[in-house]
Formats: sequence, structure tokens, C-alpha cells
Amino acid sequence: MSVNKGVIGFACAYTPLPLIRAAGFESYRVLPNVDCPDQAGRLLHDNLCPHVKRVLDRAMSGMIPDLKGMVFMNSCDSMRRLYDAWKAVKTDMNIVLIDLPSVSTNASIGFFRDELERLSRTIEQWGGTAIDDASLAGSIGLYNRVASLFTALREKSRRSELKGDSAALQEAYNRASIASPEEAIAFLEAILDEVADTKKGEPGVPVYLFGNVLPEPEAFTLFESCGAHIVSDDLCTGSRLFTAIEPGGGDILLNMARGILGRPPCARTFSAERPGSLGGDVAAGAVKAGARGVIGYTAKFCDPYIARLPGVRESLRREGIPFLLLEGDCTLRSIGQHRTRIEAFVEMMR
Amino acid sequence: MMKEYFTDLEAGIQKAISGGNSSHRKLYTLELARLGKKLYSGTDSIAWCGITAPFDLLNAMGVTSCFVEFIGAMLATTGVVGSFIEETDHTGYSSDACSYHRSVSGAAIKGMMPVPEFLIGTTNPCSGGLAVLENLAHRFGRELFVLHIPQDDSAGNVRFLANQMREMVAFASRITGRKLDDVALRKSVENSNRTSEIMKEIFELAGHMPSPAASRDLSNFGIVMSLFLGGEQAITIAEAYRDEFRKRIDAGDYGKSEGKFRLLWIQNRIQFRHGLEKMLEEEYGASIIIDELNDITWDPIDPENPFEGFARRSISIPFNGTIEKRIEHLKKLAREYRIDGAVNPCNWGCRQGTGARGLMENGLKEIGVPVLNLEVDCVDSRKFTEGQLRTRLEAFMEMLDTREPLWK
Ligand code: SF4
Ligand code: SF4
Repeated sequence: MSVNKGVIGFACAYTPLPLIRAAGFESYRVLPNVDCPDQAGRLLHDNLCPHVKRVLDRAMSGMIPDLKGMVFMNSCDSMRRLYDAWKAVKTDMNIVLIDLPSVSTNASIGFFRDELERLSRTIEQWGGTAIDDASLAGSIGLYNRVASLFTALREKSRRSELKGDSAALQEAYNRASIASPEEAIAFLEAILDEVADTKKGEPGVPVYLFGNVLPEPEAFTLFESCGAHIVSDDLCTGSRLFTAIEPGGGDILLNMARGILGRPPCARTFSAERPGSLGGDVAAGAVKAGARGVIGYTAKFCDPYIARLPGVRESLRREGIPFLLLEGDCTLRSIGQHRTRIEAFVEMMR
Repeated sequence: MMKEYFTDLEAGIQKAISGGNSSHRKLYTLELARLGKKLYSGTDSIAWCGITAPFDLLNAMGVTSCFVEFIGAMLATTGVVGSFIEETDHTGYSSDACSYHRSVSGAAIKGMMPVPEFLIGTTNPCSGGLAVLENLAHRFGRELFVLHIPQDDSAGNVRFLANQMREMVAFASRITGRKLDDVALRKSVENSNRTSEIMKEIFELAGHMPSPAASRDLSNFGIVMSLFLGGEQAITIAEAYRDEFRKRIDAGDYGKSEGKFRLLWIQNRIQFRHGLEKMLEEEYGASIIIDELNDITWDPIDPENPFEGFARRSISIPFNGTIEKRIEHLKKLAREYRIDGAVNPCNWGCRQGTGARGLMENGLKEIGVPVLNLEVDCVDSRKFTEGQLRTRLEAFMEMLDTREPLWK
């Protein structure tokens, strides 16, 4: 599989990276944690999610690599508006908006499969190689390897055996989201081989972290310096990007669609059979990870989370699991302002 | 409270009508009251829905269906919305969200929303609306069906949505025991088509120079009429509007504005009582003659093949898809109605419309139509600062007054 066709950017954890790879492109996540002038407000309202505004700031400031194109997923109103604004700003760049169903039914899996096919055709037109089943299966295999290495890395971090703790894990997520799977596999294996730090002092209070966009490794250092030990995460910029897909037999795109829609959902995807289940899922995730409390971090103005957080709060209250909700703008500055609250929360659980 | 409100409203309007004081707006409000009364009757089969659900299809099944934002708008109209929003805020629901949804959630918490038999969520127009339907399904312990509205009307997309609508019928039948009768469906489609045809005429008449439409005439019209589609009463209302506009044109009665300035209103109106529209008419001779959602963007539905037609209609709503499509639609309206200026209220908490206000403004500017972006919460009157908005509108109107007319 040759990867020399250039780089394709993306912004959402639902992006089908193996497909991009199978067309011979590298993928590059445009993360919102790069300092650049605040200009997005010229096109997008102040009450739009800071994740999309910071991604647009990067495009407007030219602080992105040379991209062959940009793939957007229609995950929420804000993402759709990012697509619109990007198109207005980067008039000569290839871009595509791929529809993303909110529920995983047979019909919507079939529809999403067709959207993946449309994406294949589109990126082929951007200069990619024709995607065949063999190259796609190979590509899925590579990303599955990345996913399983991350599972091992999370386990290592949970056991407090990872050098640099959860900040190092986040660093690895960030690196992998802008690297080829081969590179990711190489550095993840190296990190896994590293010998653990010998921990001194009082162990941190086990905490489960969920939410959307928190790519700053320093934020994790902050949690830990406040006495928390992140035992598991469920974040768009964390575990959600790299989840294994079963390529199976038959129609590989259909299997891929099923795999992507079937992964543990963020707030924008849900089960119509189990409405309101995010709360229960968060509580179950916390219990499974052996957490004593839950910290939620969400970007301000994120409608999918705003609407579901009361349900999460209620489920955790019912289970007797302490909950701290932090809201921010994806920057370290905004999370740093919460230090006192995080310390008090951790102290309360000791 | 809501039941009494709608019952009193119906009785009051009926009395006025039978006393010989009928009007297009009264007939419309009468039907609103009747819908509200049915929703709160405790006997009807009820479905809470998203805005782009096919109401004529549900009406044909005998299900009283309504989008949840209707309740938010009603609470705003009655001036009691604040306490409902507060109820939602107490659950930890951020005040950064759309107040239509915050007020509806509050109404559900306070037990003021009738328990439906089922719910239909729609992915269009907004993420917040779908999320609220999910929350309500959880709260009421009722089943939810989600209609994914694709972004454009490619053949595959239309087929996908039409099939979902067929599945939706099976879902509703399973829950309610009601079957979709072929004769009732055909009648509903014919009524829908007839209503849409007359609505087209109404909008064309509103575009007459000068316009017979006063600012309040067509407020919320297109979006609310979708709830009545399929029924005979929708035809009656539409005919009354059409006849009234014709009569005004024939009599040369152009109301207080006398058609000096023709305004386009983007997205939804401010739902509670305020004096801005009156001020525009009386002080500046300006009328809102067309709203973004007052347009028939779909072709007549083929009674032989209705599901594809319903699907195309839901896809065609201007809020759907990319902003380019929406801007093209706004430009089309501005040209057709010879608009002097557009007002975008930028409802706080709406990522759908407000999110792209800069792009819409630029788009209309390309054809010379200036846009006034306001900062309003269209539902929560507690935040309303009429004085500030008045100043902004005055400046905008004065700017229009000094410009060369855009359309010769
Ligand atoms: S953080 Fe929320 S609003 Fe922003 S892009 Fe993600 S899901 Fe959408
Ligand atoms: S105002 Fe915007 S967010 Fe609110 S219901 Fe309408 S489209 Fe949705």
C-alpha cells in the first residue's frame, strides 16, 4: 500500500481514517489546540462551539499543513457550519461533507455505507488511488492494530505504569491523530516497552473522564496535580478516534459503516431503542473502570452534550457517583481556571 | 393550564366568527387553538415530533401530531415562558441552548406536556431539537423513531428517506393499532397539494408591489401550516388568506406601511409580544412581506407515489443541508419579492441559523441586500431589551432610506 498521495485533513472522531489511507493519503486531524489569532467570529457566531471556531481559526491563519483536501462529518449543526465557513475561507481546497446518521439501524447503516462509497469516489478524484477491498482491509487492519495498542496503553496508564501518566497518553492520541498508522504503531510500541515510573507518594483518586474535545496533555497533568488519577476516558480527542472495526466478509464498506456507527457513542449518536442511555453508559463506564468519581469536560455551546448532561447527572446521582462538570473552550487557559474546583472535588472523594 | 388556554381561545374566536367578525388570521388562530385542545384532550392519539416530520401522513393515520417547538412558541406567546425555562435550568441544562427547547423541557418536567403514544425525531433542522425528542422519549418512557433527513435530494437519499417514512408508518401502526388507509392517504395528499398550491398564490400576492401583507399577517405561517397539512381546514385557512390579500390589492389597501420598504425576515419570528413590527410599519413604512420559511420549496406530491414526495419535501426545507443552498434560497426570495433589506433575529442558542449569520449576510450583500443581525432570544422575553433593538432597527431603516432603491 503506497502512501504518497498527500495529506487529507479531518476534524471529527467519526472520520473513516482507513478509507483515506486506502486511497493512498495520510490523514491529519486539525486539532483546536494551536495558538492562532481569533478570526472565526467574522463568519461564525460567538455562540458556536469553540472547537469548530478554533479549527477555523487555524485555516484562516494558514496554520495547517498543505492539504489535498478536508473531510467533514455532518455530526452536528456546528460541524456543518464549519464545513460552510471552511468552504468560504479555503475557496480552492477540495472539501466534502459526509452525512452521519444519528442512530444505528439497518437502514441508516446502509445509508452510511453509501456515504462511505461517495467519500471513496470523492477522494479518488482528489488524486487518490482506486480503493479496492484488499487495500481497505489492509488499512483497517493497520488501524485496528493502532486501536489495540491504545487499549494496552490505556491499561498501562490505568495501572499507573505509564511514564508521564495520562498526559503522555493524550500526547500519544494527538501524535497518532496526525501520523500514519505505521508511525503510530512504531511509537506506541516503543511507549509500551518503556519501563514504568516508580510512583512515590499518595496514589491519585481514580476518576473517569468523559466529554468531547480536550486535546491538551497539560490538562491531564492538571487533573493529576489536583490528586486525580484518570483511569479511563471517553473523549472525542481520546479513546473514541481509535476503535477497532471488524472487516468481516462480504461488503467491506457495509461492515465499516456498521463498525463506525456501532462504536461507543458520543452524545451526537444514540440508540432510539434506549433513549437517554448516555447517562447509564457513563455510570457503567465509571464503575467498570473502578472510578470513584466522574469528571465531564465539554466544549461550551455543544448542543449534543448540553441536552444530555442533565440525564448524565441524574444517572450518576442515582448510582451515588460524584460528578464534576467543567465547561471550556478547548484551551488550557479555560481548564486551568477550574483548578480549585477540581482540587475540591478530588478532596471530597478521598 | 394549557388545556384551558386553548379551550378559551377556541371559544373566544368561535364567538367572534359567529358574530360575523371573521378574518384570515382568526381562522388560522382558531385552528391553532383546536390543535392545542386536541393535544391536551387526554383522548387523542398523540405524537411529539421534530419540525420536518410528515404531518399530513400522520394526520392521515388519525394521529394528532405536532413539533415540540410549537409548545415553546405558545408558552412565549402567553407570556409565562420564564418559569418553564427556569425549571429546565435547574436540571443543569445550559442556558446556552435554544429557548424553544429549554421551555419545552421545562413544560415536560412540570407535567405540562401530554404524554404521547410515540415520538418522531428528525435530524433536520437542528441537533438540539433531535436531542430534546430523545430526552422526552426517555422521560415519557415512550418509543422514539428517528427520521434521518439527508442533505440533498439525490435519488439514493430520497429513496432512503421514503423508506424510513414507510417504516415510520409501520412503527406508528404497531404502537397505536391504527392502519394507514389508502383512501385517507390519497385524500390527505390531495388536500396537502391543494393547500400548497393556494399558499403559493398567497406568497405571490404578498410579493405584489405594493404588498398587501402587513408584518404580522404571515408571521409563523409556513411552519405552522405544515401541522395542518392533509386536512380540509388547511385549505379553508389558505383560501381566507388568499382572498384577503386579493381584496386588499383590488381595494388598493396597503395598510400602514403603504409598501415603502419591503423586508425579508430570516428564520423564525420573535414569539412574544413586542412593539418592533408596529414601529417599523408606523414610523418607517416598512413591512415584513416575506419570511424565509414562507415558501413552497417542493413539487406537488404524487398521490400514486406519496412517500417519495414526502421525502423530497422534508429534504427541500431551506434549513437543510449546506449554507450555500440556504443562501441561494434567501437570494431567490430577495429577488422575487424585491426586498430592500433583511432582518436576522439570530435566536440565541440556535447553531443552525445563527451559526452562519456572517455567511448569510455576505451572500445577501452580493446582490445588494443589506442584513441587520440582531441578538434576540426569540422565546425568552425576560432577556428582551426592546430599546436597544429599536435603536438598531432605526439605524438600519435610516440607512435604507438614504440608499438608492435596489429594484427599479
Ligand atoms: S464539540 Fe459538540 S458542537 Fe462542537 S463539533 Fe463536537 S459535537 Fe459538535
Ligand atoms: S431556533 Fe434553531 S435551534 Fe431552535 S428550534 Fe429552531 S432551528 Fe432549532
